[in-house]
Amino acid sequence: MSNGSRIAKRIRSTLFYIGALALCLPPVFVFVWMILTGLKTGVQNISYPPQFIFSPTLENFRAVFAQYNFFKYLMNSLIVAGLATGLSLLLGLPAAYSIAKYRQGRIGILILVARMTPFVSYLLPWYIIFRYLDLIDTYTALTITHLIITLPMVIWLMISFFESVPAELEDAAMIDGCSSLQSFRIIVLPLVRNGIATSAIISFIFSWNQFLFSLILSGPKTKTVPVAVYNFISYGKIDWAGIGAAATLIVLPVSIFAFFVRKSIVQGLTMGALKD
Amino acid sequence: MASVTLKNIVKRFKAVTAVDNLSIEIQDREFAVLVGPSGCGKTTALRMIAGLETETSGEIFIGDRRVNDVSPKDRDIAMVFQNYALYPHMNVRDNLGFGLKMRKFPPSEISQRVQEAADILGIHELLDRKPKQLSGGQRQRVAVGRAIVRKPKVFLFDEPLSNLDAKLRVAMRTEISKLHRRLGATIIYVTHDQVEAMTMASRIFIMHNGALQQSGVPMEVYKQPANRFVAGFIGSPAMNFVTATLVADQGAYFVQAEHFRVRLPDVFSSRLAAHAGKPVIFGVRPEDMNEPDEAVSETRGNTVAMRVEVVETLGAETFVHLTCGSHTMVARVAVPDRLLTIGQEMQISLNMEKTHLFDEATFQTIV
Ligand SMILES: Nc1ncnc2c1ncn2[C@@H]1O[C@H](COP(=O)(O)OP(=O)(O)O)[C@@H](O)[C@H]1O
Ligand SMILES: [Mg+2]
Repeated sequence: MSNGSRIAKRIRSTLFYIGALALCLPPVFVFVWMILTGLKTGVQNISYPPQFIFSPTLENFRAVFAQYNFFKYLMNSLIVAGLATGLSLLLGLPAAYSIAKYRQGRIGILILVARMTPFVSYLLPWYIIFRYLDLIDTYTALTITHLIITLPMVIWLMISFFESVPAELEDAAMIDGCSSLQSFRIIVLPLVRNGIATSAIISFIFSWNQFLFSLILSGPKTKTVPVAVYNFISYGKIDWAGIGAAATLIVLPVSIFAFFVRKSIVQGLTMGALKD
Repeated sequence: MASVTLKNIVKRFKAVTAVDNLSIEIQDREFAVLVGPSGCGKTTALRMIAGLETETSGEIFIGDRRVNDVSPKDRDIAMVFQNYALYPHMNVRDNLGFGLKMRKFPPSEISQRVQEAADILGIHELLDRKPKQLSGGQRQRVAVGRAIVRKPKVFLFDEPLSNLDAKLRVAMRTEISKLHRRLGATIIYVTHDQVEAMTMASRIFIMHNGALQQSGVPMEVYKQPANRFVAGFIGSPAMNFVTATLVADQGAYFVQAEHFRVRLPDVFSSRLAAHAGKPVIFGVRPEDMNEPDEAVSETRGNTVAMRVEVVETLGAETFVHLTCGSHTMVARVAVPDRLLTIGQEMQISLNMEKTHLFDEATFQTIV
């Protein structure tokens, strides 16, 4: 019997790894392909059959910075993602806290509905409004737009964190002499710091990768990196090597970052803030 | 230090009436225990005194000051929570000093008071630990410490011992009583454990379904329960009850039920007349049931034939579970010389002067 169950266990774990591999392989392949594209010359990139053995060149990376002013786009992305993340936390933390503390689940659902509406449906009205306000190609427009994505995410993630803080801690704080705001700041916030870190990271990544809104609302001054890459595609000619290099540059910082903080993300997504 | 007065306090949560017209007066320096079964509104009452919950109606006074509209931090109270509610991200020292820090005490005074509290509770070696690194008993001490550093007028305790193991609970009971004497403060202590209430209280307030049932010094409540609920709640093992009829027979009164007939002492007669012929609940405490004294041969109508079901020997005393028809009872007897055997029939004599009678309709005490 124990022999049979051991075999069953082995089969199960083998199946698990096959499944995991099948899920991971396509994105990993695309990722590797992207990096390789950035390391090849233009000619190597369009040769058939595709070359896997070649002497890599960093020329494309240099060109991306030299020709396309890529550094400016990186800065734009950094500014917009930073502002969007900061504002999401500034607005989202108190919002999530109130929803959790005063059990306003219905408001939470409303926010979720807003989040689930396809972004494309906002696109045109959004453009018209910002045109009217003369805000096209400004950090303001991009940041506010990214908030549509990041703010609900921060709120939803943080509600469960705030719910896991025992109400008695705040009662004790009130008796110890805190105002509501002090109790929030001194007692509650430090206890949900895992959640704050997680939602900041996720919010930053989503803003960093945002394409559609940025494409419509940015301009020469505020172009973010995903939009800049799109511009490598022009009529008649696609600069594959440039795209590969630029895409690698976009993905690399957040990937490295995510790799180092993955533990905290997993913890933040799967666990409450406190366990005794 | 201060007295605490609740006047006609009502608290409703939507449909639930948690506290129902509660009026109590707690004297300065008293150790008052609010006791009652789980869900009877003790915590809610305590939280209203603390200002953490707003009363639906009624008035609360601490000393002479009406505090209905005073925020918790300005009521000069400290509270020890059932789950201790220590701040997990602060070490013990900071937990203890937090209330003083928020009140802008100078650091030197804070550290001096923290030392004092640590002395009293013997928690010096814990000062630099986080709550997570403490045992249940240690957390409990820290929670008490956090209350005493503030030197408040009134201490509020919400079932502080209920998360401790039995042995520690007994030890902490004594310690909290000592602490009360040492601090000379007013303490309002909430528990569902009647033993805690009896042993610690200078006055005990018994609640049921949000309403006060009786208050008094513990022995008074034990000897003269105001109603059937109090009689059954206070005392362990609990008082035995028999639903019966009060029968008047040739100037004497008898409690009569199936297989059960005892004569009530004549001193009760004046209070019994109005209930003659009516259903009553007869109550007798386990310690008032004994084997008949051989020397007293004359029968006074206070013996009942019962059957032994279970014998629990605790060493100094023995609990005998008995049946008498469909009635079950527990007697607390001295260790008998001979072995009691299961199934054996025996005569039990009741100490009738100490028995109780309750109105079957209102549950109020008749005698
Ligand atoms: N915040 C609340 N919301 C709704 N009902 C409550 C709340 N707090 C307590 N209650 C109800 O009030 C009653 C008394 O509760 P509580 O004071 O906690 O009792 P105890 O402390 O004596 O066990 C219970 O029926 C409980 O369900
Ligand atoms: Mg309670």
